[in-house]
Amino acid sequence: MTTNYRAFAVGLLLCLSSSANSVDLVINRDIDYESLSRNTLRSIFSMRMTQWPNGKPIRVFVMGDKTSQHANFSKHVLGVFPHQLRRAWNRQIFSGMGQAPMKVNTEAEMLQQIENTPGAIGYLSEDNINERVRKLSVE
Amino acid sequence: MSVYGSSPLNKCWAIRLMALLLLSANGLSASQLDQLDGALQVHGFLTQAYVKTTENSFFGDSQDGSWDFRELGINSSYRFTPSTMASIQLLSRRAGEMYDGSLDLDYAQLDATIYTADANRVGIIVGRYKNPFGLYNDTRDVAATRPGNFMPQAIYWDRVRNMVLSNDGAQLFGDLQVDEHRFSIRLIGGKTPIDENVEKSYLNPLLDPEMEQDGLTLGGRLLYEWDGGRFNLAYSSAHLTLDAETSLLPDGEVEIDYQVLSAQYNSGRWSLTLEYMQEPLNYSGFGGLMDAGDTTLDGYYLQGTYRLRDDLELFARYEESHYDKQDKRGEKTAQRLGLEAHNFYSRVSTLGLLWEVTEGLIVRGEFSQVDGTIFLSNLENPPPQMRSRNWNLFSLLVSYSF
Repeated sequence: MTTNYRAFAVGLLLCLSSSANSVDLVINRDIDYESLSRNTLRSIFSMRMTQWPNGKPIRVFVMGDKTSQHANFSKHVLGVFPHQLRRAWNRQIFSGMGQAPMKVNTEAEMLQQIENTPGAIGYLSEDNINERVRKLSVE
Repeated sequence: MSVYGSSPLNKCWAIRLMALLLLSANGLSASQLDQLDGALQVHGFLTQAYVKTTENSFFGDSQDGSWDFRELGINSSYRFTPSTMASIQLLSRRAGEMYDGSLDLDYAQLDATIYTADANRVGIIVGRYKNPFGLYNDTRDVAATRPGNFMPQAIYWDRVRNMVLSNDGAQLFGDLQVDEHRFSIRLIGGKTPIDENVEKSYLNPLLDPEMEQDGLTLGGRLLYEWDGGRFNLAYSSAHLTLDAETSLLPDGEVEIDYQVLSAQYNSGRWSLTLEYMQEPLNYSGFGGLMDAGDTTLDGYYLQGTYRLRDDLELFARYEESHYDKQDKRGEKTAQRLGLEAHNFYSRVSTLGLLWEVTEGLIVRGEFSQVDGTIFLSNLENPPPQMRSRNWNLFSLLVSYSF
Protein backbone atom coordinates (compact mmCIF):
# COMPACT_ATOMS: atom_id res chain seq x y z
CA MET A 1 0.00 0.00 0.00
CA THR A 2 2.81 2.37 0.94
CA THR A 3 4.40 1.66 -2.45
CA ASN A 4 1.15 2.66 -4.16
CA TYR A 5 1.03 5.96 -2.34
CA ARG A 6 4.67 6.56 -3.15
CA ALA A 7 4.07 5.78 -6.82
CA PHE A 8 1.11 8.14 -6.83
CA ALA A 9 3.16 10.89 -5.22
CA VAL A 10 5.97 10.45 -7.73
CA GLY A 11 3.42 10.43 -10.56
CA LEU A 12 1.84 13.62 -9.27
CA LEU A 13 5.22 15.25 -8.96
CA LEU A 14 6.08 14.28 -12.56
CA CYS A 15 2.76 15.71 -13.76
CA LEU A 16 3.37 18.95 -11.93
CA SER A 17 6.94 19.33 -13.10
CA SER A 18 5.99 18.60 -16.70
CA SER A 19 3.10 21.02 -16.63
CA ALA A 20 5.43 23.65 -15.17
CA ASN A 21 7.52 23.30 -18.34
CA SER A 22 4.62 22.88 -20.72
CA VAL A 23 4.73 25.06 -23.81
CA ASP A 24 2.18 26.25 -26.32
CA LEU A 25 2.38 26.68 -30.04
CA VAL A 26 2.70 30.31 -31.18
CA ILE A 27 2.77 31.97 -34.60
CA ASN A 28 3.23 35.42 -36.02
CA ARG A 29 -0.05 37.36 -35.99
CA ASP A 30 -0.17 37.68 -39.78
CA ILE A 31 -0.91 33.95 -40.11
CA ASP A 32 -4.64 33.56 -39.86
CA TYR A 33 -5.09 30.26 -38.05
CA GLU A 34 -6.75 29.16 -34.83
CA SER A 35 -5.43 25.60 -34.83
CA LEU A 36 -3.19 23.19 -36.74
CA SER A 37 -3.23 19.39 -36.91
CA ARG A 38 -0.42 17.36 -35.38
CA ASN A 39 0.43 15.92 -38.82
CA THR A 40 0.79 19.40 -40.29
CA LEU A 41 2.95 20.44 -37.32
CA ARG A 42 5.20 17.42 -37.84
CA SER A 43 5.67 18.37 -41.50
CA ILE A 44 6.47 21.95 -40.48
CA PHE A 45 8.90 21.13 -37.64
CA SER A 46 10.67 18.40 -39.61
CA MET A 47 11.25 21.16 -42.23
CA ARG A 48 9.41 19.39 -45.03
CA MET A 49 6.59 21.92 -45.36
CA THR A 50 8.00 25.28 -46.41
CA GLN A 51 5.01 27.50 -47.12
CA TRP A 52 1.71 28.54 -45.59
CA PRO A 53 -1.40 28.05 -47.74
CA ASN A 54 -1.25 31.78 -48.62
CA GLY A 55 2.18 31.17 -50.19
CA LYS A 56 4.19 32.94 -47.48
CA PRO A 57 7.36 31.18 -46.32
CA ILE A 58 7.20 29.28 -43.02
CA ARG A 59 9.96 30.34 -40.58
CA VAL A 60 10.52 27.74 -37.90
CA PHE A 61 12.12 28.75 -34.58
CA VAL A 62 13.33 26.30 -31.95
CA MET A 63 15.36 26.34 -28.72
CA GLY A 64 18.33 24.07 -27.98
CA ASP A 65 17.84 20.28 -27.98
CA LYS A 66 18.59 20.07 -24.28
CA THR A 67 16.22 22.80 -23.10
CA SER A 68 13.12 21.68 -21.23
CA GLN A 69 10.95 23.79 -23.55
CA HIS A 70 12.20 22.00 -26.66
CA ALA A 71 12.04 18.56 -25.07
CA ASN A 72 8.52 19.27 -23.90
CA PHE A 73 7.34 20.54 -27.27
CA SER A 74 8.95 17.63 -29.16
CA LYS A 75 7.63 14.91 -26.92
CA HIS A 76 4.20 16.21 -25.99
CA VAL A 77 3.13 18.22 -29.00
CA LEU A 78 4.91 16.50 -31.91
CA GLY A 79 5.21 13.09 -30.24
CA VAL A 80 8.89 12.57 -31.13
CA PHE A 81 12.14 12.74 -29.15
CA PRO A 82 14.52 15.70 -29.73
CA HIS A 83 17.20 13.35 -31.11
CA GLN A 84 14.75 12.06 -33.73
CA LEU A 85 13.94 15.59 -34.81
CA ARG A 86 17.65 16.48 -35.03
CA ARG A 87 18.30 13.43 -37.23
CA ALA A 88 15.42 14.43 -39.49
CA TRP A 89 16.94 17.92 -39.85
CA ASN A 90 20.42 16.51 -40.51
CA ARG A 91 19.04 14.24 -43.22
CA GLN A 92 17.46 17.23 -44.93
CA ILE A 93 20.41 19.59 -44.46
CA PHE A 94 23.11 17.19 -45.67
CA SER A 95 21.20 15.73 -48.61
CA GLY A 96 20.37 19.16 -50.03
CA MET A 97 16.65 18.51 -49.61
CA GLY A 98 15.91 21.05 -46.90
CA GLN A 99 17.10 23.64 -44.41
CA ALA A 100 17.54 23.84 -40.66
CA PRO A 101 15.18 25.72 -38.33
CA MET A 102 16.44 28.94 -36.75
CA LYS A 103 17.72 28.55 -33.22
CA VAL A 104 17.02 30.98 -30.38
CA ASN A 105 18.59 30.83 -26.92
CA THR A 106 15.88 32.22 -24.68
CA GLU A 107 12.11 32.55 -24.58
CA ALA A 108 12.50 36.34 -24.74
CA GLU A 109 14.33 35.91 -28.04
CA MET A 110 11.67 33.46 -29.22
CA LEU A 111 8.91 35.98 -28.44
CA GLN A 112 10.76 38.72 -30.26
CA GLN A 113 11.37 36.57 -33.38
CA ILE A 114 7.80 35.25 -33.56
CA GLU A 115 6.47 38.78 -33.21
CA ASN A 116 8.75 40.35 -35.80
CA THR A 117 9.22 37.63 -38.43
CA PRO A 118 6.40 37.20 -40.98
CA GLY A 119 5.37 33.54 -41.23
CA ALA A 120 7.12 32.63 -37.96
CA ILE A 121 6.15 29.61 -35.87
CA GLY A 122 7.57 28.45 -32.52
CA TYR A 123 6.60 27.71 -28.93
CA LEU A 124 6.50 29.54 -25.59
CA SER A 125 5.61 28.86 -21.96
CA GLU A 126 2.16 30.16 -21.10
CA ASP A 127 3.62 32.87 -18.83
CA ASN A 128 5.61 34.31 -21.71
CA ILE A 129 2.78 34.50 -24.24
CA ASN A 130 1.22 37.92 -24.83
CA GLU A 131 -1.06 39.56 -27.39
CA ARG A 132 1.84 40.36 -29.75
CA VAL A 133 1.85 36.73 -30.94
CA ARG A 134 -0.96 34.28 -31.74
CA LYS A 135 -1.39 31.20 -29.58
CA LEU A 136 -2.61 28.15 -31.50
CA SER A 137 -4.29 24.97 -30.38
CA VAL A 138 -3.28 21.57 -31.72
CA GLU A 139 -6.09 19.47 -33.20
CA MET B 1 37.18 20.57 -58.31
CA SER B 2 38.05 17.04 -59.21
CA VAL B 3 36.18 14.13 -60.64
CA TYR B 4 35.74 11.12 -58.43
CA GLY B 5 38.92 9.35 -57.35
CA SER B 6 41.38 11.77 -58.94
CA SER B 7 45.11 12.24 -58.34
CA PRO B 8 46.47 12.38 -54.80
CA LEU B 9 48.19 15.65 -55.70
CA ASN B 10 45.28 17.83 -54.65
CA LYS B 11 44.56 15.83 -51.51
CA CYS B 12 46.43 18.10 -49.09
CA TRP B 13 45.08 21.14 -50.82
CA ALA B 14 41.55 19.81 -50.51
CA ILE B 15 41.88 19.10 -46.80
CA ARG B 16 43.36 22.53 -46.10
CA LEU B 17 40.67 24.32 -48.07
CA MET B 18 37.90 22.32 -46.43
CA ALA B 19 39.29 22.89 -42.95
CA LEU B 20 39.52 26.61 -43.67
CA LEU B 21 35.95 26.75 -44.99
CA LEU B 22 34.62 24.78 -42.04
CA LEU B 23 36.40 26.93 -39.49
CA SER B 24 35.39 30.20 -41.08
CA ALA B 25 31.77 29.16 -41.55
CA ASN B 26 31.55 27.93 -38.00
CA GLY B 27 33.19 31.12 -36.76
CA LEU B 28 30.31 33.20 -38.07
CA SER B 29 27.64 33.83 -35.50
CA ALA B 30 24.07 32.77 -36.12
CA SER B 31 23.05 36.38 -36.58
CA GLN B 32 25.63 36.92 -39.33
CA LEU B 33 24.37 33.89 -41.23
CA ASP B 34 20.87 34.97 -40.50
CA GLN B 35 21.06 38.08 -42.69
CA LEU B 36 18.38 36.74 -45.00
CA ASP B 37 15.95 35.36 -42.41
CA GLY B 38 17.59 31.96 -42.65
CA ALA B 39 17.04 31.72 -46.43
CA LEU B 40 20.82 31.39 -46.88
CA GLN B 41 22.35 28.66 -44.78
CA VAL B 42 25.80 27.13 -44.38
CA HIS B 43 26.35 23.76 -42.72
CA GLY B 44 29.20 21.32 -42.48
CA PHE B 45 30.76 18.32 -40.79
CA LEU B 46 34.17 16.99 -39.78
CA THR B 47 34.71 13.35 -38.93
CA GLN B 48 37.82 11.46 -37.89
CA ALA B 49 37.90 7.76 -37.09
CA TYR B 50 40.43 5.30 -35.81
CA VAL B 51 40.12 1.77 -37.23
CA LYS B 52 41.80 -1.37 -35.93
CA THR B 53 41.43 -4.90 -37.32
CA THR B 54 42.99 -8.16 -36.18
CA GLU B 55 43.40 -9.37 -39.81
CA ASN B 56 42.76 -7.87 -43.29
CA SER B 57 42.62 -4.20 -44.23
CA PHE B 58 39.50 -2.07 -43.92
CA PHE B 59 39.64 1.71 -44.38
CA GLY B 60 43.42 1.82 -44.45
CA ASP B 61 46.24 -0.23 -43.01
CA SER B 62 43.99 -1.18 -40.13
CA GLN B 63 46.02 -4.08 -38.76
CA ASP B 64 48.46 -1.49 -37.43
CA GLY B 65 45.62 0.88 -36.49
CA SER B 66 44.49 3.27 -39.23
CA TRP B 67 43.70 6.98 -39.01
CA ASP B 68 42.86 7.04 -42.74
CA PHE B 69 39.12 7.46 -42.35
CA ARG B 70 38.23 11.13 -42.46
CA GLU B 71 35.23 12.99 -43.85
CA LEU B 72 34.87 16.74 -44.31
CA GLY B 73 31.85 18.34 -45.89
CA ILE B 74 30.52 21.84 -46.30
CA ASN B 75 27.30 22.94 -47.91
CA SER B 76 25.28 25.98 -48.65
CA SER B 77 21.64 26.35 -49.55
CA TYR B 78 19.59 29.32 -50.61
CA ARG B 79 15.82 29.38 -50.68
CA PHE B 80 14.79 31.88 -53.36
CA THR B 81 11.08 31.39 -52.70
CA PRO B 82 9.24 28.88 -50.49
CA SER B 83 9.08 26.55 -53.49
CA THR B 84 12.54 26.91 -55.04
CA MET B 85 15.89 26.17 -53.46
CA ALA B 86 19.46 25.75 -54.68
CA SER B 87 21.99 23.72 -52.70
CA ILE B 88 25.59 22.60 -53.11
CA GLN B 89 27.89 20.40 -51.04
CA LEU B 90 31.63 19.76 -51.30
CA LEU B 91 33.07 16.61 -49.82
CA SER B 92 36.57 15.43 -49.01
CA ARG B 93 36.58 11.78 -48.05
CA ARG B 94 39.61 9.74 -47.11
CA ALA B 95 38.76 6.07 -46.80
CA GLY B 96 41.92 3.98 -46.79
CA GLU B 97 43.03 3.12 -50.32
CA MET B 98 39.45 3.42 -51.62
CA TYR B 99 39.20 7.23 -51.47
CA ASP B 100 42.12 9.61 -51.27
CA GLY B 101 40.45 12.65 -49.73
CA SER B 102 40.43 14.79 -52.87
CA LEU B 103 37.63 17.30 -53.16
CA ASP B 104 34.41 16.11 -54.81
CA LEU B 105 31.27 17.88 -55.80
CA ASP B 106 28.88 15.84 -53.66
CA TYR B 107 25.72 17.51 -54.96
CA ALA B 108 24.71 20.71 -56.72
CA GLN B 109 21.02 20.90 -57.34
CA LEU B 110 18.07 23.11 -58.02
CA ASP B 111 14.83 22.00 -56.44
CA ALA B 112 11.46 23.36 -57.57
CA THR B 113 8.11 22.47 -56.04
CA ILE B 114 5.56 22.73 -58.81
CA TYR B 115 2.44 22.01 -56.79
CA THR B 116 1.83 22.27 -53.08
CA ALA B 117 -1.19 22.01 -50.77
CA ASP B 118 -0.55 21.66 -47.03
CA ALA B 119 1.94 18.81 -46.59
CA ASN B 120 1.37 17.50 -50.13
CA ARG B 121 3.72 18.46 -52.91
CA VAL B 122 5.05 17.58 -56.34
CA GLY B 123 8.33 18.83 -57.68
CA ILE B 124 11.50 18.33 -59.68
CA ILE B 125 15.21 18.40 -58.86
CA VAL B 126 17.85 18.97 -61.54
CA GLY B 127 21.64 18.80 -61.29
CA ARG B 128 23.78 16.37 -59.32
CA TYR B 129 21.66 14.89 -56.54
CA LYS B 130 22.15 12.15 -53.95
CA ASN B 131 20.18 9.02 -54.71
CA PRO B 132 17.36 8.27 -52.29
CA PHE B 133 18.11 4.55 -51.78
CA GLY B 134 17.17 2.61 -48.71
CA LEU B 135 16.89 4.60 -45.52
CA TYR B 136 20.39 6.06 -45.43
CA ASN B 137 22.09 6.38 -48.82
CA ASP B 138 21.59 10.11 -49.36
CA THR B 139 23.40 11.09 -46.13
CA ARG B 140 25.73 8.07 -45.84
CA ASP B 141 28.85 10.25 -45.39
CA VAL B 142 27.44 12.16 -42.43
CA ALA B 143 28.41 10.26 -39.29
CA ALA B 144 25.56 11.74 -37.22
CA THR B 145 22.87 10.38 -39.55
CA ARG B 146 24.19 6.91 -40.32
CA PRO B 147 23.42 3.86 -38.22
CA GLY B 148 27.04 3.20 -37.17
CA ASN B 149 30.66 4.18 -37.81
CA PHE B 150 30.47 2.25 -41.08
CA MET B 151 27.41 1.81 -43.24
CA PRO B 152 25.99 -1.73 -43.04
CA GLN B 153 28.03 -3.29 -45.85
CA ALA B 154 25.30 -5.81 -46.66
CA ILE B 155 23.27 -2.98 -48.25
CA TYR B 156 25.55 0.03 -48.59
CA TRP B 157 28.80 -1.35 -49.99
CA ASP B 158 31.78 0.93 -49.57
CA ARG B 159 33.82 -0.87 -52.23
CA VAL B 160 31.20 0.06 -54.87
CA ARG B 161 29.91 3.20 -53.18
CA ASN B 162 29.72 5.33 -56.33
CA MET B 163 27.46 2.88 -58.12
CA VAL B 164 24.51 4.25 -56.17
CA LEU B 165 25.79 7.44 -54.53
CA SER B 166 24.55 10.16 -56.85
CA ASN B 167 23.27 11.00 -60.30
CA ASP B 168 23.71 13.82 -62.78
CA GLY B 169 20.23 14.36 -64.19
CA ALA B 170 16.73 14.88 -62.91
CA GLN B 171 14.55 13.59 -60.12
CA LEU B 172 10.79 13.85 -59.74
CA PHE B 173 9.31 13.80 -56.25
CA GLY B 174 5.83 13.66 -54.78
CA ASP B 175 4.55 13.56 -51.18
CA LEU B 176 1.00 12.78 -50.13
CA GLN B 177 -0.26 12.99 -46.56
CA VAL B 178 -3.56 11.34 -45.62
CA ASP B 179 -4.19 11.58 -41.88
CA GLU B 180 -1.41 9.56 -40.21
CA HIS B 181 -0.22 8.11 -43.51
CA ARG B 182 2.44 9.67 -45.69
CA PHE B 183 3.42 8.38 -49.13
CA SER B 184 6.55 9.65 -50.88
CA ILE B 185 7.74 8.79 -54.35
CA ARG B 186 11.06 9.69 -55.98
CA LEU B 187 11.88 8.85 -59.58
CA ILE B 188 15.46 9.27 -60.74
CA GLY B 189 17.13 9.40 -64.14
CA GLY B 190 20.71 10.38 -64.86
CA LYS B 191 24.37 9.52 -65.35
CA THR B 192 26.18 7.90 -62.44
CA PRO B 193 29.78 8.93 -61.75
CA ILE B 194 31.68 5.61 -62.06
CA ASP B 195 35.12 5.27 -60.45
CA GLU B 196 37.99 2.81 -60.04
CA ASN B 197 36.36 1.20 -56.98
CA VAL B 198 33.40 0.14 -59.12
CA GLU B 199 35.59 -0.97 -62.05
CA LYS B 200 37.79 -3.17 -59.90
CA SER B 201 34.94 -4.72 -57.98
CA TYR B 202 32.75 -5.91 -60.83
CA LEU B 203 35.72 -7.24 -62.83
CA ASN B 204 39.02 -8.78 -61.73
CA PRO B 205 41.52 -5.96 -61.03
CA LEU B 206 44.22 -7.98 -62.85
CA LEU B 207 42.30 -7.37 -66.10
CA ASP B 208 42.75 -3.57 -65.79
CA PRO B 209 39.06 -2.96 -66.33
CA GLU B 210 37.80 0.41 -67.53
CA MET B 211 34.11 1.15 -67.54
CA GLU B 212 31.76 3.69 -68.97
CA GLN B 213 28.06 3.91 -68.42
CA ASP B 214 25.80 2.94 -71.31
CA GLY B 215 22.59 5.01 -71.15
CA LEU B 216 21.14 6.29 -67.90
CA THR B 217 20.61 5.02 -64.40
CA LEU B 218 16.85 4.75 -63.88
CA GLY B 219 15.09 3.98 -60.65
CA GLY B 220 13.56 5.47 -57.56
CA ARG B 221 12.09 4.93 -54.15
CA LEU B 222 8.62 4.46 -52.73
CA LEU B 223 8.37 5.32 -49.04
CA TYR B 224 5.45 4.90 -46.67
CA GLU B 225 5.59 6.56 -43.24
CA TRP B 226 3.04 6.07 -40.52
CA ASP B 227 2.46 8.31 -37.52
CA GLY B 228 5.30 10.76 -38.18
CA GLY B 229 7.87 8.04 -38.85
CA ARG B 230 6.93 5.60 -36.09
CA PHE B 231 6.83 2.98 -38.83
CA ASN B 232 8.60 3.30 -42.21
CA LEU B 233 8.48 0.98 -45.18
CA ALA B 234 10.40 1.57 -48.42
CA TYR B 235 11.24 -0.06 -51.72
CA SER B 236 14.16 1.33 -53.74
CA SER B 237 15.51 0.24 -57.09
CA ALA B 238 18.03 1.29 -59.73
CA HIS B 239 19.10 -0.17 -63.03
CA LEU B 240 22.33 0.60 -64.88
CA THR B 241 24.54 -0.86 -67.60
CA LEU B 242 28.32 -0.46 -67.72
CA ASP B 243 30.36 -0.93 -70.91
CA ALA B 244 33.69 -2.49 -69.99
CA GLU B 245 37.09 -2.77 -71.65
CA THR B 246 39.78 -5.04 -70.27
CA SER B 247 43.37 -5.86 -71.18
CA LEU B 248 42.57 -9.48 -71.98
CA LEU B 249 38.93 -10.25 -72.75
CA PRO B 250 36.71 -8.98 -75.58
CA ASP B 251 34.74 -5.83 -74.69
CA GLY B 252 31.58 -6.61 -72.78
CA GLU B 253 28.95 -5.16 -70.54
CA VAL B 254 27.84 -5.54 -66.95
CA GLU B 255 24.15 -5.03 -66.25
CA ILE B 256 23.31 -4.16 -62.64
CA ASP B 257 19.95 -4.17 -60.93
CA TYR B 258 19.90 -2.89 -57.38
CA GLN B 259 16.86 -3.40 -55.18
CA VAL B 260 16.43 -2.58 -51.50
CA LEU B 261 13.51 -3.29 -49.20
CA SER B 262 13.53 -1.35 -45.90
CA ALA B 263 11.42 -1.50 -42.76
CA GLN B 264 11.86 0.45 -39.55
CA TYR B 265 9.96 0.81 -36.30
CA ASN B 266 10.74 3.76 -34.00
CA SER B 267 9.36 3.93 -30.54
CA GLY B 268 11.13 6.91 -29.00
CA ARG B 269 13.59 5.02 -26.80
CA TRP B 270 14.17 2.07 -29.08
CA SER B 271 14.09 1.32 -32.76
CA LEU B 272 14.36 -1.71 -34.99
CA THR B 273 15.56 -1.60 -38.59
CA LEU B 274 15.62 -4.30 -41.25
CA GLU B 275 16.93 -3.77 -44.77
CA TYR B 276 17.29 -6.37 -47.50
CA MET B 277 19.19 -5.87 -50.75
CA GLN B 278 19.42 -7.97 -53.87
CA GLU B 279 21.49 -7.18 -56.90
CA PRO B 280 21.27 -9.34 -60.02
CA LEU B 281 24.46 -8.99 -62.10
CA ASN B 282 24.49 -9.93 -65.76
CA TYR B 283 27.82 -10.21 -67.63
CA SER B 284 27.77 -10.42 -71.45
CA GLY B 285 30.19 -10.11 -74.35
CA PHE B 286 33.32 -11.08 -72.39
CA GLY B 287 33.00 -14.72 -73.48
CA GLY B 288 33.43 -18.04 -71.74
CA LEU B 289 33.67 -18.27 -67.99
CA MET B 290 32.96 -14.56 -67.43
CA ASP B 291 29.58 -14.58 -69.19
CA ALA B 292 28.60 -17.74 -67.36
CA GLY B 293 29.34 -15.95 -64.08
CA ASP B 294 25.98 -14.20 -63.76
CA THR B 295 24.89 -14.06 -60.17
CA THR B 296 22.48 -12.40 -57.80
CA LEU B 297 24.17 -10.84 -54.80
CA ASP B 298 22.06 -10.35 -51.73
CA GLY B 299 22.35 -9.26 -48.14
CA TYR B 300 20.42 -7.99 -45.16
CA TYR B 301 20.94 -6.47 -41.75
CA LEU B 302 18.87 -6.21 -38.62
CA GLN B 303 19.71 -3.44 -36.18
CA GLY B 304 18.24 -2.66 -32.81
CA THR B 305 19.00 0.53 -30.90
CA TYR B 306 18.12 1.48 -27.37
CA ARG B 307 18.47 4.95 -25.86
CA LEU B 308 19.86 4.56 -22.37
CA ARG B 309 19.81 8.30 -21.65
CA ASP B 310 18.88 11.40 -23.64
CA ASP B 311 22.42 11.49 -25.01
CA LEU B 312 23.47 7.83 -25.00
CA GLU B 313 22.45 5.11 -27.44
CA LEU B 314 23.37 1.46 -27.47
CA PHE B 315 23.04 -0.56 -30.68
CA ALA B 316 23.48 -4.09 -31.93
CA ARG B 317 23.50 -5.24 -35.55
CA TYR B 318 23.70 -8.50 -37.41
CA GLU B 319 24.37 -8.55 -41.15
CA GLU B 320 24.95 -11.07 -43.89
CA SER B 321 26.15 -10.66 -47.47
CA HIS B 322 26.23 -13.32 -50.17
CA TYR B 323 27.87 -13.31 -53.59
CA ASP B 324 25.22 -15.75 -54.79
CA LYS B 325 21.85 -15.78 -53.01
CA GLN B 326 21.48 -19.47 -53.95
CA ASP B 327 24.85 -20.28 -52.36
CA LYS B 328 24.84 -18.58 -48.97
CA ARG B 329 28.03 -20.27 -47.74
CA GLY B 330 29.92 -19.54 -50.95
CA GLU B 331 30.87 -23.18 -51.47
CA LYS B 332 29.66 -23.66 -55.06
CA THR B 333 31.15 -20.35 -56.21
CA ALA B 334 34.41 -21.24 -54.45
CA GLN B 335 34.59 -24.54 -56.31
CA ARG B 336 33.86 -22.90 -59.66
CA LEU B 337 36.44 -20.13 -59.24
CA GLY B 338 39.05 -22.09 -57.30
CA LEU B 339 39.08 -19.81 -54.26
CA GLU B 340 38.14 -20.32 -50.63
CA ALA B 341 34.45 -19.99 -49.78
CA HIS B 342 34.88 -17.11 -47.30
CA ASN B 343 35.58 -14.77 -50.22
CA PHE B 344 31.93 -15.05 -51.23
CA TYR B 345 30.06 -14.17 -48.03
CA SER B 346 30.29 -12.15 -44.83
CA ARG B 347 28.52 -12.48 -41.51
CA VAL B 348 29.02 -9.60 -39.11
CA SER B 349 27.88 -9.05 -35.52
CA THR B 350 28.35 -5.52 -34.21
CA LEU B 351 27.89 -3.86 -30.84
CA GLY B 352 28.24 -0.11 -30.48
CA LEU B 353 27.70 2.88 -28.25
CA LEU B 354 26.88 6.42 -29.38
CA TRP B 355 27.38 9.43 -27.15
CA GLU B 356 25.87 12.74 -28.28
CA VAL B 357 28.11 15.07 -26.29
CA THR B 358 26.44 18.25 -27.56
CA GLU B 359 23.95 19.01 -30.35
CA GLY B 360 26.75 18.86 -32.90
CA LEU B 361 29.40 16.62 -31.37
CA ILE B 362 29.19 12.84 -31.32
CA VAL B 363 31.55 10.07 -30.25
CA ARG B 364 30.86 6.47 -31.27
CA GLY B 365 32.73 3.27 -30.57
CA GLU B 366 31.90 -0.08 -32.08
CA PHE B 367 33.19 -3.61 -32.22
CA SER B 368 32.44 -6.22 -34.88
CA GLN B 369 33.15 -9.88 -35.18
CA VAL B 370 33.40 -10.85 -38.85
CA ASP B 371 33.30 -14.19 -40.62
CA GLY B 372 34.03 -13.78 -44.35
CA THR B 373 35.76 -11.26 -46.58
CA ILE B 374 33.27 -10.37 -49.34
CA PHE B 375 33.13 -6.64 -48.61
CA LEU B 376 36.90 -6.09 -48.41
CA SER B 377 38.17 -3.80 -51.15
CA ASN B 378 40.52 -5.16 -53.82
CA LEU B 379 42.32 -1.80 -53.70
CA GLU B 380 43.59 -2.19 -50.14
CA ASN B 381 43.92 -5.95 -49.71
CA PRO B 382 46.22 -8.64 -51.11
CA PRO B 383 44.76 -11.21 -53.58
CA PRO B 384 41.79 -13.24 -52.23
CA GLN B 385 44.00 -16.27 -51.48
CA MET B 386 45.80 -14.27 -48.79
CA ARG B 387 42.79 -12.91 -46.87
CA SER B 388 41.79 -14.23 -43.47
CA ARG B 389 38.34 -15.65 -42.94
CA ASN B 390 37.79 -14.68 -39.29
CA TRP B 391 38.65 -11.18 -38.12
CA ASN B 392 37.59 -8.51 -35.66
CA LEU B 393 37.03 -4.84 -36.30
CA PHE B 394 37.12 -2.01 -33.77
CA SER B 395 36.56 1.66 -34.51
CA LEU B 396 36.27 4.90 -32.61
CA LEU B 397 34.83 7.95 -34.33
CA VAL B 398 34.47 11.62 -33.44
CA SER B 399 32.29 13.85 -35.55
CA TYR B 400 31.24 17.46 -35.38
CA SER B 401 28.46 18.94 -37.49
CA PHE B 402 26.82 22.34 -37.53
